[in-house]
Amino acid sequence: MSSAFADIAFGGLFQGSLYAMMAVGLALVWTTIGVFNFSHGVLMMLGAYVAWQLIEIGLPAWAAFPLAIVVLGGVGWLLQASVVRPLIGRPNIVLVVVITTLAAGSLIENGALTFWGPRSKQLPSLISGNATIGGVGVSLHQIAIIVITPIILGALWLFLNRTRLGLAMRAVAQNEDASHLVGLNVTALYGLAFGIAASLAGLAGIFIGGYRFMSPVMGSDPLLKALIVVVFGGISSVSGPIFAAYLIGFFEAACNYYFGLYWTPTLLFAVLILILMVRPEGIFASRSRGLA
Amino acid sequence: MTDAVAPAIPIRAVPVSPGRTPWKQEAIGFAIALLVLALLPLVIGDTYSRHVLIMVFIYAVVASNWDLSLGYGGVFNFGHLALFGIGVYAYSLLTKLVGLDPWLALFAGGVIATVAAVLVTIPILRLKGIYIILVTFGFAQLVMQIVISQSAITGGTQGLVRVPGLYWFDHNMIRDGKFAYFYIALGLLVASTIFLRVFVRSRLGAGVVALRDNEEYAISRGMSLVRQRMITLAASAFFTGMAGAFYAAYQRNASVDVFGMSLATIILSMVLLGGASTIYGAIIASFVLTVFGEAMADFGAWRPMITALLIIVVMLVYPSGLVGMIRAGWGAIAVRMKRTA
Repeated sequence: MSSAFADIAFGGLFQGSLYAMMAVGLALVWTTIGVFNFSHGVLMMLGAYVAWQLIEIGLPAWAAFPLAIVVLGGVGWLLQASVVRPLIGRPNIVLVVVITTLAAGSLIENGALTFWGPRSKQLPSLISGNATIGGVGVSLHQIAIIVITPIILGALWLFLNRTRLGLAMRAVAQNEDASHLVGLNVTALYGLAFGIAASLAGLAGIFIGGYRFMSPVMGSDPLLKALIVVVFGGISSVSGPIFAAYLIGFFEAACNYYFGLYWTPTLLFAVLILILMVRPEGIFASRSRGLA
Repeated sequence: MTDAVAPAIPIRAVPVSPGRTPWKQEAIGFAIALLVLALLPLVIGDTYSRHVLIMVFIYAVVASNWDLSLGYGGVFNFGHLALFGIGVYAYSLLTKLVGLDPWLALFAGGVIATVAAVLVTIPILRLKGIYIILVTFGFAQLVMQIVISQSAITGGTQGLVRVPGLYWFDHNMIRDGKFAYFYIALGLLVASTIFLRVFVRSRLGAGVVALRDNEEYAISRGMSLVRQRMITLAASAFFTGMAGAFYAAYQRNASVDVFGMSLATIILSMVLLGGASTIYGAIIASFVLTVFGEAMADFGAWRPMITALLIIVVMLVYPSGLVGMIRAGWGAIAVRMKRTA
């Protein structure tokens, strides 16, 4: 019994961390720019591959991982500048950005396939080794993810709430016109939001690449889960999806334990649709749009 | 100076339906296009080209029906491919397990997809914009997961093979160089297109557009959002389901790939590349993208990359898609012709 509890608790924390890392980026882009980035999953994949490539050319992991995250930030900025910013002001921007980011995602995905090939690769773990906690065998890599994620998310929260730059981003999210009026560089802040989101996705990719084989299509499933998470949490905030990510992590772990692997996605989507029927704006969302 | 100055711009008669082509013109254009397509198999003899055209017709049906809910209805429906997949599986299961007549199963595919569309409308009635994308996306995934988890019936990820095909008396459809399937697919596209065009030109279609353009005003004028959304989605589902059923009959198998992101992306780009809310745009784009994709078959992994690049460029330069491009080009020619005349 205690083993079952530990199993679910650990699985929930671990999955929740990954989902939170992905979903926060999606929510960040949505709140500041008001678009949905459907290439988010591909950015995650790219993060893992860039890290792998950096290690391949001889960098140690402690240098390769942060560098890959920085590179991904640049990719995010570039993506924003090429397929999102030119479309701002169009009446059907939400829809058009969905298709342009999907197309950009397909471009990157097939590019990765051509460049790195379909053969599976793996990143080194953050920390190697295993441990047994509460009767459940876990790897230290997974423990590291569980510990690091809240730290990163806490740092993001501090950034958004305590720094001038973060406050500027929140201002853009709240009222774009007023931000223009007080002299904020809205375009640069858009780029920053996209860059941070892409970096977080890249980090998630490095996390996943450390315990599972990487492939060019590895981003689609986490993207899907991140989408569910933001629906649960409400896309209009950044903290909502974080709570929702852990909630879904636990839900999934419990479903896996009691109903088996096959039924988990079905149950998840059924619950998602039910929740939206009752609370269309998500369970943790207030009705206004704003960051943090 | 007191004399009234003749207006510089001649006053034209107010058109009966502003911004629309007269239906006679459209009917003539439609008939010419149909004639050209119907005569194609006489010119194109090889089965491969015919196969490409059949796929064009199927994609065109799915994309143009998607355009009805996405473009005209303004409902960000991302579950449209699930309706196609439901058609595929309805046909396969009905013919293979129940032993239903393939022609009846083809029709049943459309009916079942329509019922599914009505069901999925219920959770999205209160929702807007991005949430509709997420729920309909979730719906598509839900359908796929159900198909995968019921592997005893649906074959799971392995899919179903040896699905019975369509028949025409004693005619051998497999060995006629895809002659019969070509005309069935064309017939499906024609029926679907006529239905869609009549729908969007009708009062009902005008109501759908009114709701899209100004929801509050349309509702205040007594229009029912619930009823209109349901009608729009149900109307766009029937031929999509039939296209799915036909696809299963033609390919003689069913697989969960039809629910996947890649097919959805291709068809969605057909809708948007063609130019949303035109119907014809989606059909033209499915022709362009499919033929273009086949022509680049030698490029391997570069093919999806080039296609993706093409989509991005068109979306950035011509927001109204290929039809916008054609209209702009036509306008330029018309201006030049007037100048020379």
